Amino acid sequence: MTSVDTATIFDIQRFSIHDGPGIRTTVFFKGCTMNCRWCQNPESIRPGKEMAVYVDRCIGCGMCGHVCPTGAIPADRPGRIDWRICDSCGLCAETCPAEALVLVGRTITADDLLDDCLADRSFYNVSGGGVTLSGGEPVMQSDFLRGFLPLLREEHVSVLLETAGNYAYSKIDALLPMLDHIYYDFKLPGPEEYRTMTGGDRELILENLAALKKGTVPVTVRMPVLPGINTAPEQIARIGRTLRSIGIHEMQLLPYNPFWESKLPRLQTEKRPLMLSDKNIDYRHIADALEQIGIAAQFPARHPGTQDAL
Amino acid sequence: MSVQPSPSLQAQENHRIRLDQLKAFPENQRLKKIRQDILDSGYHLCTQKASLMTDYMKRNDPQPKWLEPLRRVHYGLYGNSMKKAAKGMPQRTWQIAANNLLNRFYQRCQPFSPSENQLCFAKAFRHILDNMELKVYDQELIVGNPSSHRVGAPIHPELGGLLMLPEIDRLDTRPNNPIPIDAAQRRELKEEIFPFWFNRSVLAFAPLYTKNPELFSQTTEGCYFILTQFAGISHVTPDYPRVLRMGFNGIKEKIRHHLDRMPDTRGNRATEERRAFYEAALITAEAAIAYGKRWSRHLTEQAAAEKNPERGAELAALADMFRRIPAEPAATFYEAVQSLFITHVMVHGENFQHGVSFGRVDQYLYPYYIKDLETGILTTEKALEILGCFIAKAGELIPLFFDRATEFFSGLSSASGLTLGGCLPDGSDGVNELSYLFLHAYDQVRLRQPNFHVRVHRDTPAPFLTLCADVLKKGGGLPAFFNDEQVATALVNSGFQEDDAADYSIVGCVEWGVPGKSFPAAGAVFINLPMALHLALHNGKFGTKAFGPPTGTALDFQTMDDIIGGFTTQLRHMLAIAAEGNDAIEKAHARHRPTPFLSTLVEGCIERGIEVNNGGAIYGTVGCQGVGLADVADSLSAMDELVFRKKRLSLAEMLGAVDSNYEGREDIRQLIANKTSKYGINRVEADRWARIVSGIYTRAVFQHKSPRGGPYLGGFWSMTTHQGFGVRTPALPSGRKAGETLANGISSVNGRDRLGPTAAMASAAKIDSGLIGNGCALNMKINPDQIQGEEGSRLLRWLIRGYFDMGGCQVQFNIIDPAILIDAREHPEKYRDLVVRVSGYSAYFNDLTDAMKDELIDRTLHSSRSLCGC
Repeated sequence: MTSVDTATIFDIQRFSIHDGPGIRTTVFFKGCTMNCRWCQNPESIRPGKEMAVYVDRCIGCGMCGHVCPTGAIPADRPGRIDWRICDSCGLCAETCPAEALVLVGRTITADDLLDDCLADRSFYNVSGGGVTLSGGEPVMQSDFLRGFLPLLREEHVSVLLETAGNYAYSKIDALLPMLDHIYYDFKLPGPEEYRTMTGGDRELILENLAALKKGTVPVTVRMPVLPGINTAPEQIARIGRTLRSIGIHEMQLLPYNPFWESKLPRLQTEKRPLMLSDKNIDYRHIADALEQIGIAAQFPARHPGTQDAL
Repeated sequence: MSVQPSPSLQAQENHRIRLDQLKAFPENQRLKKIRQDILDSGYHLCTQKASLMTDYMKRNDPQPKWLEPLRRVHYGLYGNSMKKAAKGMPQRTWQIAANNLLNRFYQRCQPFSPSENQLCFAKAFRHILDNMELKVYDQELIVGNPSSHRVGAPIHPELGGLLMLPEIDRLDTRPNNPIPIDAAQRRELKEEIFPFWFNRSVLAFAPLYTKNPELFSQTTEGCYFILTQFAGISHVTPDYPRVLRMGFNGIKEKIRHHLDRMPDTRGNRATEERRAFYEAALITAEAAIAYGKRWSRHLTEQAAAEKNPERGAELAALADMFRRIPAEPAATFYEAVQSLFITHVMVHGENFQHGVSFGRVDQYLYPYYIKDLETGILTTEKALEILGCFIAKAGELIPLFFDRATEFFSGLSSASGLTLGGCLPDGSDGVNELSYLFLHAYDQVRLRQPNFHVRVHRDTPAPFLTLCADVLKKGGGLPAFFNDEQVATALVNSGFQEDDAADYSIVGCVEWGVPGKSFPAAGAVFINLPMALHLALHNGKFGTKAFGPPTGTALDFQTMDDIIGGFTTQLRHMLAIAAEGNDAIEKAHARHRPTPFLSTLVEGCIERGIEVNNGGAIYGTVGCQGVGLADVADSLSAMDELVFRKKRLSLAEMLGAVDSNYEGREDIRQLIANKTSKYGINRVEADRWARIVSGIYTRAVFQHKSPRGGPYLGGFWSMTTHQGFGVRTPALPSGRKAGETLANGISSVNGRDRLGPTAAMASAAKIDSGLIGNGCALNMKINPDQIQGEEGSRLLRWLIRGYFDMGGCQVQFNIIDPAILIDAREHPEKYRDLVVRVSGYSAYFNDLTDAMKDELIDRTLHSSRSLCGC
């Protein structure tokens, strides 16, 4: 087995307080094995770097058109990209003074990432926090993580993985000794819905969850509440029964946030706004329904093990 | 582990029970009423002290009568030139010279020696205390009115009060901080008080102590630096515990003890002055005792006239108390708090109301508290009520600033600090029941003052910090937090004894001083750091005017070291002028406005026989604040990155854009804004510049020595000078345009802390704190959504702890919803009690200038954006 020295990430978010216990730094890995229609980070799905355009920031200086080697930026429309031609080289983003053109994704070495992850160590120590791996699907870069996570372990930094589980078990198995907690998404009731709306394999995801559940790393199952997509009573019941059948007794409900739709115009993407709203969703009602099946559902999501470190 | 003896276990249990009780106390109706009365009373100019002092001095006037015609003519001309200066027409050089010449002449004609002067001001103080109006307000359990109004702004003509001269006619109608003034006051000021003092105040005398006649007009321009001490020095934590411990009878004895041992003084001027100081101090101590007796008589009368028997009994109890205090040591907790406050009132009968602080109140009041609880004459609930009354009292004084000063010191805070918690001499934790009680009492009063400061160290109990967070979360910006380890180290590096450094308390806003031993002049000087950079990059010139030595222009700088060299040269030059100016002001205070009463409350003065303005205190330092640190750091970072490392621009091109205020060069401004590292996002490229600049600054400041013997100490806090300086500062290489506000304290430039609070704190922790002897302020803006409930309090605690573990010195939070601020700007009448954190202090939002209101809204919006998690 070989490990990889660099990762492709698209953000490092300090002071994350909703992605695990305490104060955390969340690293967003680029690339995903699924492609959910409601993906909160639509810029995370492709594994490679890609361009994003913030039209409102453009000051019309035209420098992007001058530097673009492929001619994807027309001279009369600075700041607009012809996606058919653009090869995401990022030269325009480097030049653009106004951050109207942004290259999403960067390559980072394990050492540099470690520095960023240790910057808030004082805050992890006092809060019981640590690093959260998110994305994208971090496990897609498991070859990198196999080399990187031991560095965090050496520094006694706790690591939490957020994953959707759609990959061969061997990918995550190698990481388990270096993880302190797993947040595992389970999104939809049936295999067909999984396939058409996320591109994921429900059976694989369930198998992996069942296998992880038997291990020593604590797993918290989380279900994104998707108004009208997985909120019908029979859907909730089916999800609950499925999870119950593999020995899950607790889960978290993630409230729906439509913020991702505002990202779409900036990206080259097939995704369309879903116009969903959780205005008519009664989270308590969903939790009660799950309770009936024997699953204690928490909302809003809160890390069950949040400890007071002081 | 040894077994604790049972009484101690019992005491611990009682302690726990009482703390639990505290949480359940209902709203105290008395405190509610007092709070409302103070909020309802409005502000008023107070001329009582000015009037009494003028009255006394006129009768004992040392200036010969034959000077009167000359003085009259001079006053007329002086008044005109002051009015012109207020309209932006600075005095001409010859006017300044003529004015100084005349003032020097008066000084010559003044026959009073320094000794006679001391005695004269001591007697004037006695006259003030003997005649000040005594007022007891409804329901209050702690009495003492520092002004003749419920909320008053005393004017001090013998200090810098003449600066108000051009504004007296429109004081009640001026746009910022209007203060009601009545016709009689206006007449008295214009006809009696100002004409008497205009040529014998600190303001008049200070220029005579420098060789640079234009120095003080530079000061009032407010481009390069601000000198504040015309207004008075104050900024001190008097040795109030001394009064509680020995009473003024004891202090009198102490003075007499030294006086009796004075050798024959005839012919020896120094000894003669020492003797005069002791005599003056004795007069003030006796005046303090007499003042207590007056209160006793007054309260007895009030009690007799009171119809409500319950209130009558309260007043009679106070009257009885004043038969003993402040002459005798305090016997009970109630007496201690009352004696403390009445002494605070007396200090303000002599001194300007700014930064006179209470010190470690929970420590020195605790023995009285616990004794009274044990003997059963006090309950926790009663103690809370007494403390609440005391806290409310501190809100009755506001400073009086002239218009330009309001720009730099908006918010009308007289910045009385009060310190809780912290290490004890043996290194153990000092948090006690009173520390909790003070916070609970504040929670019920919630006025702008006093400033609550909490000392934090490794063993500060989590429940105490949680209570701090709970109090803080409700808005108001109090308390602020200080890291014992860092502060004590900075003080030791600045020349303080280790045990004194460990006993520090906060003076005023954020300044650290040793209670009872320092006379730190903590608010003396404010330096505009970005102007030093501007001068460095423009050969010492600002516009066409040469201010600093020539240090080259764009073409001369080959490396960042060259630029830093130029910056250092300009900064040193600026500091030298500012220090010369401040020294002159301090010499004027020392010679012309001694404060013998305050001297009885600062250790070292009686012991050495030296008045406090003349260097009697154990520590006689001067505070000198650098403003706009982040702007300089970001400017250096931008030049380093774009010009020297990435070579995307030449320095000439970059400075060309800066000097055109980025007109037509928005591309360069955006490039700087978006493509260079900034201080506040924890990037080493920018943080190292903040560290370098903070080190250069504090070391350069430390080179200067005050006439009172101690060093100048650097600090990084700004009150609202970052606004005032900002208006006058041209565009900077940081991407900041001309006139925009500067960064406050050690905070990042507004909106640039895009990675949230932990990254901003990590940047701030990199500041070179080794020689920050006069405090620094890190302002964190937190959106209330982030910190709801128990988890929210925990989050605040984590931020404080984490920051201090990284080596941070101080942090304060403004927790306020931007929507509320926006509404308050539109509807001030709905938000009279809205308290916000400004810089090192809290203020009513309505008292801020419009520019400052906008800035706060802007800052708060930024914080909610950067924390939204997207």
